[in-house]
Amino acid sequence: MVSPYVIYFLVFVAYPLTFSFILIFHRWNIVTPMEFIGLKNFIRLFRDETFFKSIINTLIFLSIHIPLQIAVALFFAQLLNKKIKLRGLFRSIYFLPVVVSGVVVTVLWQQMYAYETGLINQILLKFGFKKIPWLVSPKFAMPSIAIMATWKNVGLYIVLFLAGLQNIPRELYEVAEIDGASSFQKFLKITLPMLNPTIVLVVVLSTIGGFSLFIEPYIMTGGGPMDSTLSAMLYIYNQAFYFNHMGYAATLGFFFATIIFLVVILQRKFIERDVY
Amino acid sequence: MRFHFILILSIFLFACSTEKDTKRDDIKIVRLKYWCSANPQEIELAKKLVDKWNKLHPDIQVEVQPLPAGQSSEEVLLAAIAAKTTPDICSNIWPGAVSEYIKAGGLVKLNEFEDFDSIVNLRKIPHSLLESFRSNDGNFYQFPWKTNPVMMLYNVKILKSAGLHNPPQNYSEFFNACEKIKKDINGDGITDIWPGYTDTRPIWWQRFFDFYPFYIASSGGKTFFENGILKIDTASAINAFNFFKICFQKGYFPNTNFQTDPFLTGKVAIRFTGPWTIAYLEKNKPADLEYSFAPIPVPNNYKGETYTYGDPKNIAIFSTTKHKKEAWEFVKFLVSDSSDLALLEICNQLPIRGDLLENKIFAVYFERNPKMKSFAKQVSYIRGVDEVPEMKEIFDAISKEFEACSIYGVKTPESAMKNLIKRINTILEWAK
Repeated sequence: MVSPYVIYFLVFVAYPLTFSFILIFHRWNIVTPMEFIGLKNFIRLFRDETFFKSIINTLIFLSIHIPLQIAVALFFAQLLNKKIKLRGLFRSIYFLPVVVSGVVVTVLWQQMYAYETGLINQILLKFGFKKIPWLVSPKFAMPSIAIMATWKNVGLYIVLFLAGLQNIPRELYEVAEIDGASSFQKFLKITLPMLNPTIVLVVVLSTIGGFSLFIEPYIMTGGGPMDSTLSAMLYIYNQAFYFNHMGYAATLGFFFATIIFLVVILQRKFIERDVY
Repeated sequence: MRFHFILILSIFLFACSTEKDTKRDDIKIVRLKYWCSANPQEIELAKKLVDKWNKLHPDIQVEVQPLPAGQSSEEVLLAAIAAKTTPDICSNIWPGAVSEYIKAGGLVKLNEFEDFDSIVNLRKIPHSLLESFRSNDGNFYQFPWKTNPVMMLYNVKILKSAGLHNPPQNYSEFFNACEKIKKDINGDGITDIWPGYTDTRPIWWQRFFDFYPFYIASSGGKTFFENGILKIDTASAINAFNFFKICFQKGYFPNTNFQTDPFLTGKVAIRFTGPWTIAYLEKNKPADLEYSFAPIPVPNNYKGETYTYGDPKNIAIFSTTKHKKEAWEFVKFLVSDSSDLALLEICNQLPIRGDLLENKIFAVYFERNPKMKSFAKQVSYIRGVDEVPEMKEIFDAISKEFEACSIYGVKTPESAMKNLIKRINTILEWAK
């Protein structure tokens, strides 16, 4: 009797991966037979300025999103770790955006970010500030998406940090208090080092999630303005499903997966520390 | 246990039966499958036409099915061709995708039917328009069926209050009109009435409602290719880029999206859209909204009829059919006078024929729907897209240049044109 997992692995992992790998050396638009083209897809990849721009856009997104995510999640986790009234209710409220559909959140924020009529700019104008071109400026568009993505996912990381905080032995804080340590010193010398495994987890999860940035640019901006929010995943999707360049999309996919793998390895090497 | 086994086996054998054509008494019944567009109006139209056909042709029975759900009908049809699960006939064929279907061997040559020419002639389709649907190998794989010409929709009251009693016809008149229409009513620095609006997202098909109709209008009905060779009318493309560049740079068009339809709420005076908008406006408009349609503005020195993008959708017979002659008979029925009248009455979409306003059959419809007359006049002056497999990628390249040049003003129209040609040549090179 074959293990169910083996069947699952063969059908949903091994076969698609193998087929995608074969596609790398072919041109295929689904309807006509596959045409062997050798390494032409790789030649095209290394001449494709738009693809490399999409990778840089994704890295820009990550460079804003990850630190913001960690800072905001840790801040709120610390607050929610204290014994306050309605703590359970607040924890639920912060987690709510995580369970709301990504498409719904994206459409709502698209309306809020609208340059002429959006809620955020209307509030800014009321207080005497100028309108900000959130999604219509190449400079502001990706940071706007990063802020929205942080708001959407921070609840999940608050939960992870809360679990991490609750695992730190109270005795460490008591000893530090006896030695006269300030709140900031306790945070720097006890909380952060003890949270290292959680921070590594949050960084890795955020990175993997960030590299698959797709819904937000797809719905909000279409990859614009001027390709500034064109993520690598959106570009690969367009190549496969708009233009039917299946072989080329497979090539881009494998290349991008390799980049993600290398980045995660580097992150673990530089961030992970042993906690005693 | 044995009974259950026999029951299951019987059901299985019955389900496996692939006998499509059946015999009833001495008549062999041919069964055809017909896919129509999935919007409610066209489903209603298809059902009515198929019911009528089935009553008139007991020996050829048609089953109608809306196109299966998908990101786009082109993708659904491509997947069906790959899987060899295509219907016999489909009436939602976008000309831009026909070359891919032909490459896959998915379509039947319609001009091989003896009476093809006579059926086409009955519809009085202008020769140049008909030729635009001929494939590069000289054959017709699609029968011209319906069109939704893109025209200029305008708010009559807003134009009148700006002192304009007629819609602008050329670029200068348009910009002058924009200067008069643009208003900040309460002086708070926020524009309350915008002269025009177009969706600024760089999605390839958005250009069918701004750049491409203006290019076709400026070029007098040219598309991008002639006999499969790239021959862009660069002056017209530059005109189209420049027109919208002025609109955005002078603040006539906003670079934003609106929470509600800005035309309905009176925030925008002009849009470029098709006749499908009429049903939507009639259903949702406030009581005091008065609107009309006019041809796309043309360059000041342009002479002749105004062309536009017609978003045509045509009818095709798939090569998987086992009943070509019967399928052709059904196609002839779909493009008959009575079916064309039903298309107008039920869907408010225009059949591709040159006699819409002269043929008495349609007279009552146009009396009852005067706004559709503007579109009927436009039908003879529409163009679709070229039958080139890389059209979507080409329009994606146009979108990027449109964004950089017209919306954000970081390139001149000439530079955008140069980049566009270079990009199109690269796309065509990679496709070889």
